[in-house]
Amino acid sequence: MLVLENLSCGYGPFRAVQSLNLKLEEGSVNALIGANGAGKSSTLMSIAGHVKIQEGKVFYKNNELNQIAVHNRIRLGIALVPEGRRLFPDLSVEENLKIGAYHKSKQRYSTNIERVFELFPRLKDRIEQLAGSLSGGEQQMLAIGRALMAEPSLLLIDELSLGLMPKIIDQCYEVIQELKKQGMTLLIVEQNTKKALEVSEQVLILESGRKVWEGKAEDAKNNPEIFEAYLGLSS
Amino acid sequence: MLFLDLLIQGLLQGSIYGLIAVGLTLVYGLLRILHVAHAGLFTLGGYICVIVTNQTSSFLLAVLTSMILVGLAGMIIYRICYQPILDQPPFVPLIASIGLFIAMEELFRIFFGAYGLSFTELPLQEPLALMQINLKQAEWITIASSVGFVAMLAFLANRTKLGLAWKATVTDPEIASSFGVNIIQVRYLNFFIGSSLAAVSGCMMAVLNNLVEPTMGSVPSYKMLAIIVLGGLGNVRGTLIAAVLLGIIESYGTIYLDDLLDRDSIAFVFLIIALMIRPQGLFQRH
Ligand SMILES: Nc1ncnc2c1ncn2[C@@H]1O[C@H](COP(=O)(O)OP(=O)(O)OP(=O)(O)O)[C@@H](O)[C@H]1O
Ligand SMILES: [Mg+2]
Repeated sequence: MLVLENLSCGYGPFRAVQSLNLKLEEGSVNALIGANGAGKSSTLMSIAGHVKIQEGKVFYKNNELNQIAVHNRIRLGIALVPEGRRLFPDLSVEENLKIGAYHKSKQRYSTNIERVFELFPRLKDRIEQLAGSLSGGEQQMLAIGRALMAEPSLLLIDELSLGLMPKIIDQCYEVIQELKKQGMTLLIVEQNTKKALEVSEQVLILESGRKVWEGKAEDAKNNPEIFEAYLGLSS
Repeated sequence: MLFLDLLIQGLLQGSIYGLIAVGLTLVYGLLRILHVAHAGLFTLGGYICVIVTNQTSSFLLAVLTSMILVGLAGMIIYRICYQPILDQPPFVPLIASIGLFIAMEELFRIFFGAYGLSFTELPLQEPLALMQINLKQAEWITIASSVGFVAMLAFLANRTKLGLAWKATVTDPEIASSFGVNIIQVRYLNFFIGSSLAAVSGCMMAVLNNLVEPTMGSVPSYKMLAIIVLGGLGNVRGTLIAAVLLGIIESYGTIYLDDLLDRDSIAFVFLIIALMIRPQGLFQRH
């Protein structure tokens, strides 16, 4: 279970996120929505340890994350699919997946790579190819696959469907459904609110670094005016 | 035979340059720092080699001691001199590094005297003919150890988990650490390996010249900077090729251009011309 307690985080003195409270139940799928610059990526990156926590606390499975070195957070089960994928472009698909399982044994690596190839068969055909030469869709699959190699219990995904064509987006969301079935906790940042609402249980809307709405995905779906009010768009 | 002899001499010099420059390019690749003080570690390696050989009369033991101590010294330099200023613009660590290099030269002078040290009994001087090439043992060992260490480095980089972690850290330290790579450890290891290779190079230089002196690192420091630029900053393979190329050109130059230029000027003329033609270096990064 992930708990953000009065979290403020940002860059230098600048607060990108202010006093955010949030609780993710184990095995739940959660959508984090907001306009550009609202602080979505900053929230995810502060959980991962790359954006400074200025105030408040983050707990995962009762561990205070500030006490845990960035490279040990993956051992707690937290994996990241960052904004812009951030693959290792000069490394092959296989090497990228190896990094994903960096803290795992050889056996776990073999099991996990089979699982990833089941979810994304296209990666299997491109195993030797450099990650930088993959198409945008394949890169997103690899970014998700790399994170899954770590057998996370909490998966943080930033901009899942950005820049992907509808068919690939559907494919990615099928994988999300599958992960949900397996009981993984997910926090998904999305521009594509419609898709996000289909899979999530809880929805959170950020505006200028503050939480402005939180509720069940159903309520959000039934009240599209919420999105118009906060995002200036309809779901 | 002169042609072949010169080629061998060039390879020999190139091996020494290569071993120094690799450490520098490793540091640049990882931290984007021009680690000028690396040449001071090369000198330190030479001193330790002479002192330990003179004490124990074992050259092998001296080289191993030198590699370990200089490797540790490299880690300490990273910790004290670079880690606190990694967030600063690149000229800040560069200036710190130049300052440290000058300080090291002065320390060598203060501790070991201005005229340098020599072996009491110079090791590895017997001639040895292999494939009809006649060299001193020390020269063969220089070439062989460069090839050996470079092969080990290649193995480490391309065939081990550690190498993978290193490559990931070079590209994106944040994401590498998110997947469990302890990037601080990677940096320490990077300094240890690079510095101990410079130590090997210093040991070879010591035994080839039978002399270590406080300023023996100054000329290599300029050359190694030029070599890593030619090699395409951070590109290990390019750096090695550039180092060997420079060694060979110097070697032929000293014979055919001797009336015009001395050895070091030939090297710099070559480097200036090469960089005028290809300012991005002979090889691209990656
Ligand atoms: N590295 C940085 N240094 C300084 N300010 C930053 C940095 N990254 C983001 N910010 C600022 O923090 C605020 C929140 O940015 P963040 O990237 O978290 O927004 P976001 O919700 O992910 O937006 P988007 O939808 O565009 O990805 C913005 O005002 C942004 O300008
Ligand atoms: Mg963002």
